[in-house]
Amino acid sequence: MLKSRKILACVDQSPYADYVADYAAWAARKLALPLELLHIIDRHQEISASTDHSGAIGVDAQENLLNQLTEEEGTRARQVRDRGRVFLNGLRQRCEVDETLSVDTRQRYGQLLSTLEEQQQDVALYVLGRRGESAAHTRRDLGRHVEMISRQVRRPILTVAGEFVEPRSALIAYDGKRMTRRCVELIAQNPKLNDIPVHVIMSGKRATDADKHLQWAKNTLNTAGFRVETAYLPGDPEQEITRAIGERQADLLVMGAYSRSPLRSLILGSRTNDLLRASQVPTVTIHL
Amino acid sequence: MNTIRQEWFSNIRSDLLAGLVVALALIPEAIAFSIIAGVDPKVGLYASFCIAVVIAFTGGRPGMISAATGAMALLMVTLVKDHGLEYLFAATVLTGILQIIAGWIRLGELMRFVSRSVVTGFVNALAILIFMAQLPELINVPWPVYVMTVAGLGIIYGLPLLTKAVPSPLIAIIILTVISVVMGIDVRTVGDMGDLPTTPPVLLIPNLPLTLETLGIIFPYSLTLMVVGLLESLMTATIVDDLTDTNSDKSRECVGQGVANIASGFMGGMAGCAMIGQSVINIKSGGRGRLSTLSAGVFLLALLMFLGDWVSRIPMAALVAVMIMVSVGTFNWDSIRNLRSHPTSSSMVMIVTVIVTVSTHDLAQGVLSGVLLSGFFFAHKVGRILSISSRSEDEGRIRNYTILGQVFFASADRFVQSFDFQEVIETVRIDVSRAHFWDITAVSALDKVVMKFRREGTEVEVLGLNEASATMVDRFALHDKDEAADLLLPH
Repeated sequence: MLKSRKILACVDQSPYADYVADYAAWAARKLALPLELLHIIDRHQEISASTDHSGAIGVDAQENLLNQLTEEEGTRARQVRDRGRVFLNGLRQRCEVDETLSVDTRQRYGQLLSTLEEQQQDVALYVLGRRGESAAHTRRDLGRHVEMISRQVRRPILTVAGEFVEPRSALIAYDGKRMTRRCVELIAQNPKLNDIPVHVIMSGKRATDADKHLQWAKNTLNTAGFRVETAYLPGDPEQEITRAIGERQADLLVMGAYSRSPLRSLILGSRTNDLLRASQVPTVTIHL
Repeated sequence: MNTIRQEWFSNIRSDLLAGLVVALALIPEAIAFSIIAGVDPKVGLYASFCIAVVIAFTGGRPGMISAATGAMALLMVTLVKDHGLEYLFAATVLTGILQIIAGWIRLGELMRFVSRSVVTGFVNALAILIFMAQLPELINVPWPVYVMTVAGLGIIYGLPLLTKAVPSPLIAIIILTVISVVMGIDVRTVGDMGDLPTTPPVLLIPNLPLTLETLGIIFPYSLTLMVVGLLESLMTATIVDDLTDTNSDKSRECVGQGVANIASGFMGGMAGCAMIGQSVINIKSGGRGRLSTLSAGVFLLALLMFLGDWVSRIPMAALVAVMIMVSVGTFNWDSIRNLRSHPTSSSMVMIVTVIVTVSTHDLAQGVLSGVLLSGFFFAHKVGRILSISSRSEDEGRIRNYTILGQVFFASADRFVQSFDFQEVIETVRIDVSRAHFWDITAVSALDKVVMKFRREGTEVEVLGLNEASATMVDRFALHDKDEAADLLLPH
C-alpha cells in the first residue's frame, strides 16, 4: 500500500499546522517517502463583500459590475496566494531541517474534501490536524469531518491532536474483524516501522475466538520483526482503550474506521468517532 | 448537505439585504409589467412573489432573480384582451408544464446556437421594449408628470454619489409620493391602474372548460411564453455565471422555471422568467445565494401587506423613472460603440434581432431571425473556404484537379463553376481527398461535374471520395472527439 507515493500533510494557517508538519515529516522519514505540504484555499465564491445597496443600474451596469468584481476578487486572490506561499515556505523550512527529506509544497483552490479526493492516487498517508482555523466549529464536527474524509479517500489518515512527540509505541484497537485485520497487515507490510513496539488490544464483549484473533495478529507482526504485546480488556471499548493508551504510554493509536454503513452509523453512532474524541494521542484511522 | 449550506446559508446577511433591495425594485417593475399585459397590478405582484419564492428552491442558478417580466408580459397582451384573465392563468400553467418538459429533454443545450450577437440583440430589444412601454405614461399628460419623472431619475442616479447605503429608487419613490400627496398634485397613481393585493395569494384553479378548444387558444401563447421565458432565463443565468465566476445547472433551471410558473398560474399570477436587470442589481447588492431570491419574494409580499395603501398612492411618474433606469441598465451600450469595430455580419445579426423583436413585440421571433441570420452568415463564410487548383499532365492528355476545403450547399455552385468544361482533354482526375463533402448538395454537385465531363467524352477519375464524404455522417456523436478532429485535418 505504502509504495512510491507521498505523504500529504494538509495544513491551514493555525498553530496546528506546525504539529501536522512535524508528524508528517516524521512519517515521511520513517517510511522514506516524499512529503508534500498542501494548503487548500477555499475561495468562498458564494460569499460577497458588497456594501452597495443603492439598487440603481446605469449605463453599462453589467460590464462595470463584472470589471469591478473581477478586480476585487483578483486582488484578494493575489493576497491570499502570497500569504499562503510565505506560510508554506516557513513550514517547509521547519521540515527540511533533516536534509534527507524531500519536501514539496502546493496550494490549491477548492474544498478540503474534494481536493483530498482528487489527490488520492498519489498519496500513501494523509496527515490532518484535528482542529484548525475554525477550532470551535471543528471540535463539534471533528468526528464527522474525519468520517467524511475517510469514507471518500481509501487511504490511512493520521490525525494530529497536539504537539509533536516522537512515537515510541503504538496501540492497535483490534476487534478481529476485516477492517482491523487490514490495520495489522498494513503495519506488518512496513518493516521500516518495526523499531516501534506495538500493543494489540481487544476490548468489548468476550468473543469466543478472541485468543485466536490476537494470536494471529501477534504472529503476523512478529514475522515482520515487530515487538508485540497483546491483551484482552473486557469492558466498554471506548473507556478501556483510552485507559490502555495511558497505562501503556502508547503515543500512536491505530484503528480501523467506519466499518458501519453511513446510515447505521447515523442511527447507532460511530465507535470510531467516540474513540477519536476520547483519545488525545495522534490516531491513524484506516478505512480500506 | 454541503451544497445546501453553501447555496442557502453561507452569505446570510448580504443575501437578506440584497433581497430587500431587490424586493423594493421588484414592486414598481411588477406593477409596470402588469400594466403592459393589461391586467391588475396584483396579478404581476402575486406572480413575482410566487415565482421568486418557488425558484429559490427549484432553480439551477442561485442568486438569480425571477419574477413577472416585461418580455413575458408583452406576449400575453392579446390573450388577455381577447379571452380574459382565466385564460392567462391557464396559459401560465401550461407554460410551466412545457418548460418542465423542455428541461427534461435538455432543450437548453440548443442555446449554443444563439450567438453572442443574438444575445446582445435580445438584451437591447428588451431594454427598448421596456422603455417603449413607459411612453403611454409620458404622452399627453399634464406637465408635472415630466417634472416628476426627471426629478425621479435625478434622485435615482444622484443619490448613490452621496450614499450607497439605501436604495436610491426607493428614496425616489418615497419623495415623489410624499410630494404628490402633500401638494395634492393631480397625476395618475398606481391605484388608478387596478387592484392591488390585500391578502396573500390563495390557490385558484382557472375556471375554464377542459376542452381541446381551450387548449387550442392557450397553446400558441404558452409555446411562445415557454421559449421566451427559457431564453431570457438561460441568458440571465449565463450573465450571473460570469459575474459570480461560478457555474449553474441549466437543465435544473428550465425545470425550476416551469415549476415556478405552474405555482404562479395556480395562485392568480402571470407567467414570468429570470430578469436581467434585477439579477444584476442583486449581485451588485451582494446577493449570491438562494436566500437572496427567497427573501426578495417574501419581502415583496410583506411590504405590500403592510404598505398597501401607500403603494396605491405612488404616482406613475415615479414608476416610469424606475423603469427608465431598468431599461438604461439593461441596454448594452457597448454594442453601439462596437457597431463599427465588430464584423458587419455580427452587427447585422444584432440589429435584425432588435428590429424584428421591437416590431413584433415578440422576443421569440426576434431571436429566431437572429439565429437564422447568423447561421446564414456562417454558411456564407465557411463556403468561401474552398480552393480548386489544376495542372495538366502527360503532355496535355490529363488534367489534375485538386480540391481543398469545404463543399456544401453554400459552396456547391462555386465548386461546379471552378471546372473548365470547355477544355479539350482525354482524362480528368479530381482529387477530393483533402476536401470535405458535408451534405447531399455537395455530392450531387460532384455528380454533375462528372456527368458534364463525360458528355464531352472525357474520362473522369475521382480520388479520395471516401475520406471526403466521411463528414456526411450525421451522427457526430458516434465518433469520439479525436476522430472528429481528424475529420477536419487534411487527410
